Amino acid sequence: MAMAFLLDLGRCIGCQACSAACKTGNELAAGTQFIRLIEQTRGEFPDLSGGFTNHRCYHCADAACVNVCPTGALYKEDGLTRTSRDICSGCGYCVEACPFGVPEMVDGLSSKCDGCADTVRAGGEPWCVVTCPSNALEFGEREEIVKEARERVTAMRARYPKARVYGEDEAGGLGVVMVLPDDPDVLDLPVDPAPGALINTWTGIVQPATLALTAGATVAAGVMGVIARRNHMLELKALEEGEEA
Amino acid sequence: MAVQPGPNGRVKLNITRRSFLKAGATAGTLAALGRPTGSLAQKRPGAEIPWYRTGTIETTYNNCDMCPWRCGVLVHTVDGVVRKIEGNPADPKSRGMLCARGQGGVSFVYDPDRLQSPMIRTGERGDGQFREVTWEEALDYSAAKILAIRDTYGPESLAIFGHTSGDFWFTDYFAQAFGTPNAAKPSSSLCLSPREEAFKLMTGLAVGGHEPVDWDGLQCLTLIGSHIGEDARNTVMQDFSNAWARGARVVVVDPRFSSVAAKADYWLPIKPGTDTALLLAWANVLIDEDLYDAGYVADWVAGFDDYAGHVSELTPEWAEAITEIPAETIRTTARVMAENRPRSAIMPGRHVTWYGTDTQRMRAVYAINALLGAYGRQGGMYFNKSAYLEAYPHPPFAVAGSSGGCSAEPGEESDELPLGPSGKARADGARTSFLRGATAMQELIDPMISGEPYPIKGLVTYGVNLFNSIPNVPRTVEAVKELDFFLAVDVLPMEHIAWADVVFPEATFVERYDELWAVPYKTPFISMREPAIEPLYDTRPGWWMARELGIRVGLDNYFQWETAEEYLDKRLLSVGSSLEKMRAQNGVIVQSGKPYLEDFGEASPFTTTSARIELYSEDLAQAGLDPMPVYEPTEEPPAGFYRLLYGRHPVHTFAKTQNTPLLSDLYPENELWLNQRRADEEGVTSGDRVWLENQDGARSGPIKVKATQRIRPDAVFMVHGFGQQSAGLSRADGKGASDTKLQTRYKLDPISGGAGMRVNFVKLVKEV
Repeated sequence: MAMAFLLDLGRCIGCQACSAACKTGNELAAGTQFIRLIEQTRGEFPDLSGGFTNHRCYHCADAACVNVCPTGALYKEDGLTRTSRDICSGCGYCVEACPFGVPEMVDGLSSKCDGCADTVRAGGEPWCVVTCPSNALEFGEREEIVKEARERVTAMRARYPKARVYGEDEAGGLGVVMVLPDDPDVLDLPVDPAPGALINTWTGIVQPATLALTAGATVAAGVMGVIARRNHMLELKALEEGEEA
Repeated sequence: MAVQPGPNGRVKLNITRRSFLKAGATAGTLAALGRPTGSLAQKRPGAEIPWYRTGTIETTYNNCDMCPWRCGVLVHTVDGVVRKIEGNPADPKSRGMLCARGQGGVSFVYDPDRLQSPMIRTGERGDGQFREVTWEEALDYSAAKILAIRDTYGPESLAIFGHTSGDFWFTDYFAQAFGTPNAAKPSSSLCLSPREEAFKLMTGLAVGGHEPVDWDGLQCLTLIGSHIGEDARNTVMQDFSNAWARGARVVVVDPRFSSVAAKADYWLPIKPGTDTALLLAWANVLIDEDLYDAGYVADWVAGFDDYAGHVSELTPEWAEAITEIPAETIRTTARVMAENRPRSAIMPGRHVTWYGTDTQRMRAVYAINALLGAYGRQGGMYFNKSAYLEAYPHPPFAVAGSSGGCSAEPGEESDELPLGPSGKARADGARTSFLRGATAMQELIDPMISGEPYPIKGLVTYGVNLFNSIPNVPRTVEAVKELDFFLAVDVLPMEHIAWADVVFPEATFVERYDELWAVPYKTPFISMREPAIEPLYDTRPGWWMARELGIRVGLDNYFQWETAEEYLDKRLLSVGSSLEKMRAQNGVIVQSGKPYLEDFGEASPFTTTSARIELYSEDLAQAGLDPMPVYEPTEEPPAGFYRLLYGRHPVHTFAKTQNTPLLSDLYPENELWLNQRRADEEGVTSGDRVWLENQDGARSGPIKVKATQRIRPDAVFMVHGFGQQSAGLSRADGKGASDTKLQTRYKLDPISGGAGMRVNFVKLVKEV
């Protein structure tokens, strides 16, 4: 069953309880955060508007990170994008592929929100949702979440006429359905967060080959893995340059 | 206008928060799920296996000590290690949720920088040279010093400064038993005093710790210098969010485009120090345009005609010239406030010691609320009621309590200040340099130096960050040098610890029982604190220290219990409960309140002489002070200087949490908010480091510039509590700049004794 988060950027008041709860619940090491809040300011004093956006995994249905992952360490489950760090090769493709710039390399392995897969399985909600004092975060069946997001948007339009749902269809439908007080570009969100043509070309041609290469390298030796990764990067760079040309 | 997304604006998906870590639950249910497999056994960024699957989860009840709001929490341990703190769903304030600071509680407990052993100073004061000693030696040594001071100068010569949730044992209980009226909390004269004294003068009532905004039905909220979201009080963020989403109008008055200003329908970027002019002009509009609640005023307000006459010339045009808020905006916002009355109120706020004219400003705030008919009305301001709970029986105290704690209970204020056993009243100048109110901490510093009106030779600090809270730090340093004895109780080696003669390391809130907390609220309640783990290192709970010290200075009769459980059970018996019963009802006892006018029947809830809200104060008139609030201009910044404003960050509390690993990770140092245009003129950009120098030449450490549109050009802003200087604080030492050290002056509020701290100015220094 497809699950999803609701993220209401109208309600979010930037308190960072979500970031802290995520860090404590998942016992993330110092320096690692799966949720970062970014203060936004538009206009010039004193004619201002602004708020907070969340920099976090949006769990794209058509997830570029999953598409490029050569080992299957990133995969879809229940509509969310999970991570298996024990089979991550550390190639870093996900970091480059993500249209939102979310995954980070921590200790050489891909690191990002996995939707608190384990706590949800244990009968709870993701840590960030449990704690959010502003009720800006919810978690549930995606269908219900989308419905809730639409209702919130309808209510919010009395205050913000441009309020809209974001993520219902973007990138094949996000696993974080957002309630936006304004247009996405105004809030520094991609209007069309589809991965670049680079990724499509790459997944069609290179991934099958590299998947085998990486798997082999992982089995063989760490050193080989490093070489494989360097090769990947060179290939990727060549493709990128090709795109630009 | 009101939009209705659902009951209370609450999302319909989950009526209650759903954590699988249920109170009292063990890992049994989790174990049934089996060990994690596949993706769960992964190499997590933090842990190999989720912590809650590594052993048996045990849960204890507590109230959070990471800020003074004290949300009810569940403390989860696994195999004797605290792993997670969550909001207690049964607690009326946390309702199962918790802010970032509360989440940081775990890393506060396991901060490796903690004080670990009692210590006695070996070097000079300030050197930080100590020898570790046994508790026996530390206590005997301290008791002898305290007795020597008592015998030479009288018990009044011992000052006790306390802060945070365990301070009861020292600042209230020990102080009153010992007989010193010089017990003070920063939460009074450095924070709330003007708010409390103004409300007592006008209504006879206390605002209480929790501003009694009746959020459920609120339709218009006005904030003056309150920063919901940056000031991350959990309950207030919840209530605000729900009211906002329901469509309640929000008016924010602030020189800074704060997080909550960004949510407002009207943001009034007021010139700092001119709020009273705005408030008087709002009253002018409400009365002039006949928008006030005439029926309510007739029934419950005294002195209306005086007030109407007082503000009749104080038009929005008059205020525009002072506040730099357009007259039309003043009119519009007054009308919005009135359209929604009585479900419309100005929130009193918390830190209100700004300009030394603060009690008068707060009276002007309450006058607006009275004109809106908000007090005792649904959706306006409810009446707090204290939870019923008997004290543990003890012999009569040597000095009355109204002199010590956070604020005197209503009715305890009298013309006569309580005297200590030697016949001396407080040394803080109450009744001479200011009129009334709780003991003013900053006014107890001078007597340590001057010996006037009598010498203060001993100081006990409990949880007070002495050099990062009281303005005029050079004076405090000089005072500490003059003391015969200085005992510091703390969890961490804060800056002033290096100056103490004796250091008592305290066990944190999850390692100790503590006094029950009877909370004044709409539904008054009692909250408990019990240990989740044994005290780490050689630390002890505050109650134990106060008792051991008390017994050693001859106060045995006040400490007749042996254990905390015995003490707590005795008190709980007065409400037919016990620790065991409290645990069985989720760690909280909720009582019923009397929030609205109708709950008082024919009687008046107001305890003033007139039994009404008094807009004109006879008490102030008799004292030669303005009986109605008058706008008094505050000093302007000199050329090239900015007014120094300060405030909160949502992941930090005061000067307490800067070293806490999790919170330091989230926000390691403060920044200097500087208007973008000014930054361009100064030739600095975001990320540049500058120094600040104030009007008296005091210099801060380097601080990162945050060039932003979010602040007026005439002021700069920084988060309070940074810039601490203590080598023992491995994360906080030298990070950012200290606002307190740039506050070499303050302006004393002649009514409440509050220290107005926004009277300091700074200029940028780009190279040193």
